[in-house]
Amino acid sequence: MRTTARSRALVTCFGMVVVFTGFSYRLIQVQVARADEFTSEAAAKHVNKQIIHARRGTIQDAHGEALAQNEPVKTVVADASLINDHEAFAALIAGPLEIPETVLNGKLARMVKSKSTGNLEPCRYIVLKKDVPETTANQIAQIAAAAAPQPKGPKSPKSVVSNPDAIGFEQDFIRVYPNGSLLCHVLGYTNGEGLGVEGVERSMEQHLRGENGFRFIERDRIGREIVPYRGQERDARNGCDVRLTIDMGLQNIVEQELQTAVKLYRPKSATVILMRPQTGEILAMATRPNFDLNKQSGVPEQNRRNRAITDILEPGSTFKIVTTAAALSERLVKPETMIYCENGYWEWCKLKDHHPYAEISVSDILMRSSNIGTAKLAAQLGDQRFYEYTRKFGFGERTGVALPGEVGGILHPPHLWSKISITRIPMGQEVAATPLQVVTAMAAIANGGRLLLPQIVSEIVDESGATVARFPAQEVRRVASQKACEAVSEALIRVVSKKGTAQFAAVPGYDVAGKTGTAQKYDENGKVTHDKYVVSFVGYLPARDPAFVGLVIFDEAHAKPGENYGGLVAAPVFSRIGERAARYLGLKPTRIELPDGSKVAVDASTLRDQ
Amino acid sequence: MSTNKRRHANSVPIASFATWAVIGLFACVAGLGYVWCKNQLHTTGGRIKTLERELTDLRNKNEVARAHIAQLSSTKSLQDRFDTGFIKLAKITDDRIVTMHQKAGAEAINELRAVSNPGGRK
Repeated sequence: MRTTARSRALVTCFGMVVVFTGFSYRLIQVQVARADEFTSEAAAKHVNKQIIHARRGTIQDAHGEALAQNEPVKTVVADASLINDHEAFAALIAGPLEIPETVLNGKLARMVKSKSTGNLEPCRYIVLKKDVPETTANQIAQIAAAAAPQPKGPKSPKSVVSNPDAIGFEQDFIRVYPNGSLLCHVLGYTNGEGLGVEGVERSMEQHLRGENGFRFIERDRIGREIVPYRGQERDARNGCDVRLTIDMGLQNIVEQELQTAVKLYRPKSATVILMRPQTGEILAMATRPNFDLNKQSGVPEQNRRNRAITDILEPGSTFKIVTTAAALSERLVKPETMIYCENGYWEWCKLKDHHPYAEISVSDILMRSSNIGTAKLAAQLGDQRFYEYTRKFGFGERTGVALPGEVGGILHPPHLWSKISITRIPMGQEVAATPLQVVTAMAAIANGGRLLLPQIVSEIVDESGATVARFPAQEVRRVASQKACEAVSEALIRVVSKKGTAQFAAVPGYDVAGKTGTAQKYDENGKVTHDKYVVSFVGYLPARDPAFVGLVIFDEAHAKPGENYGGLVAAPVFSRIGERAARYLGLKPTRIELPDGSKVAVDASTLRDQ
Repeated sequence: MSTNKRRHANSVPIASFATWAVIGLFACVAGLGYVWCKNQLHTTGGRIKTLERELTDLRNKNEVARAHIAQLSSTKSLQDRFDTGFIKLAKITDDRIVTMHQKAGAEAINELRAVSNPGGRK
């Protein structure tokens, strides 16, 4: 008996030792030997790295008007396993979601293969619609709550959803552009991932984007966050706001006048740029064809291009300002120096003028836009020196404006020129430039010879309002002497007179300086066409103290036969823009118009505020 | 007999019981306290989460309102409203616009000033 009891006790003890040794072994294995492995496995199941999304910065005009900003939206998702009646639920939410009931029902009825059992079961994550406005999302949440069984109410077996969580909402943001198509090419847009792909959205991506934050969180077995177990955390750094040099008041004027002109002339493309010549700030930039930034789907690629910087065109006679400024700057001629213009036809290079001139002054060469006179000025300079001046004015290289996709234009070096190139390039042939290059070159004449970097971004400020970066005026180089530029400027004032080629560019009350351009286009075979022109006008006002330089350019305008000239098509558009812009900017008039129609010039200095 | 009985009576170690009782009580209180603290922590966590959600909702509403204000006050929207006559502003015709230089000082009276009236010219 005693032996039996003792043996039982021994067996029991031995059994317990074995069992507890097993437990201990497992404990040591779990807690010590394979601790790291199990910890990481547990972490993988329960710990998530939650991304805290940074808000993209806004884009504003010079006065702080929002041009691009974010709007919170939701992505509506459904858990079909919690929906009892797909058809009824689809009928409830189809209206607010603006999705056909049948399409919605098809989405909700989707079945997926279970990873654990291998059986087909309702899908637990179905994206119903993206970019749903907050108000609609709230409406849907209320519908889902009403369709679920009420906690305190009587149990109804016929509830449409078994839980309000059948519908979920994921936070998202979309980029909105309050002005629609205004300034579309400059602003650009973002892709589906919120990254800038065009315009300022792209060039200022690194400032606008910000930096996402993160937080390590643990979830319980039903997926709820266990807040006390939050781990490492870093706040998101929101993107900076980008302030442009664009003045939306001027932009609106430009867009309206351009739209009117486009309706009238139906050109292939058209561009208008306004620039402040003292700083290089771009005040307005509009291009046609354009598109609505908020409705981009289906917009052809050609409409998305910012032709002010991506398209190159022969500048035509507007290029004569470079030739004249170079000749004057080199002191080869004076404004009153007489040049023989071959009575309208220069035999050796087969160059014609629109009207025959014998001897005319350098100033008159610009005023009358004499091709032969300009070619002779360039010939005096010589190939190399003329080429250097052309390069100095910024042709043949990118201006460096903070917009993506800019091209440098075409300007061949002298060793690639033909014998007559020296007579063609001075009048804007055999050379191709972007509209921005032309307006930048004219700004250099307007400000006394300083080529400035065109600025589109004025400053970058962070979310607290502190300035992160400022973009002051940046002089690239001096391109001509001040005296030469003043002489060219005086000649350009005469261009916009009744004797000049751009009398329709005149702005009542102001002295305007400018130059017209009319370039024939080439066909596919490289031959000059006689019905396709690039017509332009580039000028500034007030001529002696310019507030802005403006360029109007039309590619293949449908004007009446014999009227497709820069002075007849582009100049009047400049005049209307100039008049409205002068009024908008509050510019003081520089000439008085008397009741009899005669004009009296006013000294600009007397018009400044005392 | 009675002497024997007294000799064999077991003494109760009250002090020891009391010590263990205090230790047990302390352990209970500590355990319950721990549970209470944990509970509080989770309740506070839940409240933090709710507040965070409310804050996010408020921020979103604010963003939506800002976007709406920007939309309504945008140049394009104002121009459209002006064109359709929603903004009750009378369009000033060109013949009624005179831009003139306002010379400062009292001596400006009766002086000739620069004037531009492009519309009136037509």
